Amino acid sequence: MELIINGSERELEAETIADVIERLGLSGKPVVAEADGVVLTSEQWSGTKVAPGMKIELVHFVGGG
Amino acid sequence: MKQDTWRIGDRVLTSRFFIGTGLFPNPYVQMEAIAASEAEVLTFAIRRVNLESAEDDSILQHVQGNDYIFLPNTSGARTAEEAVRIARLARASGLSDWVKVEISANERTLLPDPIETLKATETLVKEGFTVLPYISDDPIICKRLEEAGAAAIMPGAAPIGTGLGILNPYNIGLIVEEATVPVIVDAGLGTASDVTRAMELGVSGVLMNTPVAKAKDPVMMAEAMKRAIDAGRLAYLSGRMAKRRYASASSGYEQFKIQ
Repeated sequence: MELIINGSERELEAETIADVIERLGLSGKPVVAEADGVVLTSEQWSGTKVAPGMKIELVHFVGGG
Repeated sequence: MKQDTWRIGDRVLTSRFFIGTGLFPNPYVQMEAIAASEAEVLTFAIRRVNLESAEDDSILQHVQGNDYIFLPNTSGARTAEEAVRIARLARASGLSDWVKVEISANERTLLPDPIETLKATETLVKEGFTVLPYISDDPIICKRLEEAGAAAIMPGAAPIGTGLGILNPYNIGLIVEEATVPVIVDAGLGTASDVTRAMELGVSGVLMNTPVAKAKDPVMMAEAMKRAIDAGRLAYLSGRMAKRRYASASSGYEQFKIQ
């Protein structure tokens, strides 16, 4: 299904946010997901269904002051 | 001497050094510098994951296993709304409910937008965050942020990354006098003497990144900054002598001068 991940369109086979994380090879990494503006804790990933055109943001901590 | 601890929210801190994690030449030097600094609080930024790179560029892989307090910032935000969003994302990591509100509206100066910073602080305090706003060195806005529930106030010494030192020590001193929450000088410090001066003004701590990361020897500079904090803090607690316009001999015994 067509999803907009971090601002770019991407074709992914996924039913939930947990699937998206896994398909992108980010399982087990300290990432945070937001789906259509809703911030999710990692416990909510497997219960959050994705839909075509959904805007997903995947962020993490980087160096900064 | 009794241990000189201080407190932000419900956390008791021993170190007065908050250290940033950006711009270091490599993770090894960064971790050595953090160790030398003896900092307990580390700052981070929040950014999109680079989906094109398979490499794990997460900074956390280097600091895990240590008992640090994480202070994510909202850098990149231009409005209160954007800052609140970044703060919520940071908290969803489960790593920290502290946030450094950082809202810049001008690319050249990166100076904080005080109105948006106040708005974001109000919202995030209501949502239960421990909020540490980075703000201009203006005593009135600092007071307003404190009244809004900020856990600490972080006035800048000079614009971010400039290393210009404390441009307005009078204002920093006033902010300290007025504040009932810790004041942390954030941004603009360049070298150890700037840090000592900040501590002598009575601030509770300093937050630095560039002056350590961009030193030729970041590990040695972290050590220098740590000692500068201690020196300035002790000088502040000791109470400096009054300044005088003219000389005053330190030997005394005026009547026994050899004629």
